[in-house]
Amino acid sequence: MGALSAARAANSDYEAQAVAADAALEERAWIRKAQTADAAAFEALYRMHIDKVYGLCLRMTGNVAEAEDCTQDAFIQAWSKLNEFRGESAFGTWLHRVAVNTVLGRMRKSRREQDRIRAVSEGSSTPQTIGDSGGFRDLEHAINELPSGARHVFVLHAVYGYSHDETSEMLGIAAGTSKAQLHRARRLLAQQLNTECA
Amino acid sequence: MNEENNRNFDDELMAAAAKLSTEVTPDRDLWPGIEQAITQPARPGRTAWNSVWAQAAAVVLLVAGSSGVTYLAVTEDASPVSPVAEGPTLVFEQASAQFGSMYNLGPDYQDARRSLAVKIDEELTRLTPEERAEVEKNIELIRTAIEDINAALAAEPNNELLQKLLFNTYREELDLMLRVDSIASAAMRRGDI
Repeated sequence: MGALSAARAANSDYEAQAVAADAALEERAWIRKAQTADAAAFEALYRMHIDKVYGLCLRMTGNVAEAEDCTQDAFIQAWSKLNEFRGESAFGTWLHRVAVNTVLGRMRKSRREQDRIRAVSEGSSTPQTIGDSGGFRDLEHAINELPSGARHVFVLHAVYGYSHDETSEMLGIAAGTSKAQLHRARRLLAQQLNTECA
Repeated sequence: MNEENNRNFDDELMAAAAKLSTEVTPDRDLWPGIEQAITQPARPGRTAWNSVWAQAAAVVLLVAGSSGVTYLAVTEDASPVSPVAEGPTLVFEQASAQFGSMYNLGPDYQDARRSLAVKIDEELTRLTPEERAEVEKNIELIRTAIEDINAALAAEPNNELLQKLLFNTYREELDLMLRVDSIASAAMRRGDI
């Protein structure tokens, strides 16, 4: 019985790995085609990654309309820079970097940060993903209230799991600044969540 | 005890953050806008060129306008000044100088500017007569602005606004020359094809 379970588990792992390998091969094929200016291939890549890119833009900007614009700009940027992608990192990671740069560039350019609409959930079908987060039901809202520097670091490090080195590189800041911003974000979130609980 | 509570809170906070979804589906399909942007037919060369000259002209107008206004403001009540730069040669030399206590264009800038100034006549021959006239007009405008600012600086050598303006104008000039260089190279490549 134990051996059978182990065999099933191994088989399941193997199947999962095979599916992942197929997906990676498929993605690589789309990338190669898109690099020859094939818009249909690029659309396939868009469909594969849209949720990840939009999710990142939404969490970084905290605003649905701005996130939509950033997402579109990020894919347009990715299209124009596609030949620079050499496969040294995963395509999704490369796209994330492009998206982060797009968000930062737009924020610098438009300075709409101060005017951004506060509530992400308003007019959005953003799924409620923190229902199982115990006392942190308002975490998403609280993150959205953070100042941009602290929010960007918190989103990339705590939500997306990038290391401080990766986060600082993406944001163009020192690793020490990334750590300081994370500390600040935690402190502000603690204040905010405790206030809301009270 | 309080420290332990804080640590627990931090741990819970980070765990809750890690559980947040990293993927969100947008309310609407964003592809049509992207497709429109990436499949627009490549603009013909003339349009792209016009855009470059429109940008260059905007920069020049801004620089020339600002310098003119500043010059008038500074010299309105002042007695006649002897300009630092009386001609293009002197203006070129001035580029290697430190502008007051605030701005300094280093030797790399001076080298780049000198080599581009030498190349620029050759590069201009690769452009059409209209494009060449446009470039020459813009370069002339920038150099006139440089002369004006230099003259104003002679009266007020410690004016930081003028120092910054002169510094930026030299950079705009270099930028314009670099653009001419790259555009002329691109035109040559197109001709080769």
